[in-house]
Amino acid sequence: MKLVIYEDHTFENFYPLSLIRPVFDLRCGASSLGDKLRRHFAGLEVVYFIREYLVPTFKQNNGSATVNDCSALDGDLLITNGRWLCLKSAVTAEGEEEIATHGDSVVYIRANRETVARCRGDSFCELLRNLKEALPGRSVDEELISYNWNLVHHNPDAITADFEALGETGVHGEMHPLSCVYGDESQVFVAPGAVIHPTVVLDSTGGPILIEEGVIVFPHTRIEGPCTIGRDTQIVGGKIREGCSIGPVCRVGGEVEESIIHGYSNKYHDGFLGHAYVGEWVNLGAMTTNSDLKNDYSTVEVKLNGKTIDTGDSKVGSFIGDHTKTSIGTLFNTGTVVGMMTNILGGSEILPKSIPSFCLFANGKAFKGFGLRKLLETAETAMGRRKVTLTEADREVLIHAYDSTKEERMEAVKKARREIRRG
Amino acid sequence: MPSNDEIRERIVNVTATVLSVDAADIKNEHDFAADLGAESLQSVELVAGFEEEFEIEMDEEEALSVATVRGAVEYIAKVVVEQHGS
Repeated sequence: MKLVIYEDHTFENFYPLSLIRPVFDLRCGASSLGDKLRRHFAGLEVVYFIREYLVPTFKQNNGSATVNDCSALDGDLLITNGRWLCLKSAVTAEGEEEIATHGDSVVYIRANRETVARCRGDSFCELLRNLKEALPGRSVDEELISYNWNLVHHNPDAITADFEALGETGVHGEMHPLSCVYGDESQVFVAPGAVIHPTVVLDSTGGPILIEEGVIVFPHTRIEGPCTIGRDTQIVGGKIREGCSIGPVCRVGGEVEESIIHGYSNKYHDGFLGHAYVGEWVNLGAMTTNSDLKNDYSTVEVKLNGKTIDTGDSKVGSFIGDHTKTSIGTLFNTGTVVGMMTNILGGSEILPKSIPSFCLFANGKAFKGFGLRKLLETAETAMGRRKVTLTEADREVLIHAYDSTKEERMEAVKKARREIRRG
Repeated sequence: MPSNDEIRERIVNVTATVLSVDAADIKNEHDFAADLGAESLQSVELVAGFEEEFEIEMDEEEALSVATVRGAVEYIAKVVVEQHGS
């Protein structure tokens, strides 16, 4: 049997974070949605179906992965929606043929080789369409992630599930005697090679704490579980409150609560980040802060792809695209969506709730800025500082994202021009 | 197609607004940064102001490489012809 992981048509709901990665590469807990599917259905050969322009970078990052290859669709298949948050599920690879749905969406399809052979067409979409007609449907109580804020909402449970799946506990790294575990020590795992400096508190009373290899936690840090700190990350003092997934290779300080920092990003200084999802290679300047709760405690609305969506949640922070940088003192409103590769000069006012990708955002206005070449140069410099190369495939996917976000960007830029002309 | 004198006048007006300088003090040979005090962000604002004034789209890198008022007149005149015809 093969495991198929695919992106469905809702990938735009995860912009800007899904602009340069498949939806199932988004993190929830200590690992991605795709990691959880591969773990749950361990041992199966995996085939992926994603947007075509993402294939080069996906292959670059995943070695010999089979991607968008219809010839691999043979034999028994378990076809899974990449949005499936597969935590402690009772679903097995083996079983009756069926289509499992949640609402209008497919969670998984289990089909044997004969059915697959009968339903195969010229494309993966055609196979899905034919299977939907051929197999019985069943509604299942499995979680499908629909928006970025769902990832943040489920992050504490996902961390706990990932910790249990890891099955290791104890302090195997170097922990200074003037630091302590406050709570159940069996709910803490400090990997070999991690270093915990003096006056660090690992508070496991609320859930497990997972600290990976190469992490350094500097003095005057309090980490509350559930929490996971990815490899080679530095926590440079402050309050890492419950529900945080940080890393790998991040530098984080200040106050962070129920947030996901995807990797290779910095929030070195003071400032509050709550109920947020931050992409890769982001730098948040000192005192950058986001609101995650409205003064009247009502549910937070998010502007996404030109539409306003009520999240149904009263705690929603910011969603910040890859390679975006903020200046000192940047203030994000509750439920702000910040595009990727945008340079934000914040100032003293709270910024609008939707900021386009690939622009210079200053004085409350969007500008085209210094051009794509300059942005790519900056990315190359930032990545080089962490010994990571910006490859040709990386460039191509960034250029694709730049082109695909042009309309939204130019709408904001033209509005700003009119304001400038008025003086 | 506006004349170069007209283009210059409109460039000077935009520059005066964005950089908060007196239009009468702006000369053709003035460098936007060295003489008129434009910092990098203001240079970006100037480009945006010119694009709005002339209803054109300029390549960011090309536009930002123009140093002087005279250079801006020549460059914008070329872009206006390209995008609006002569």
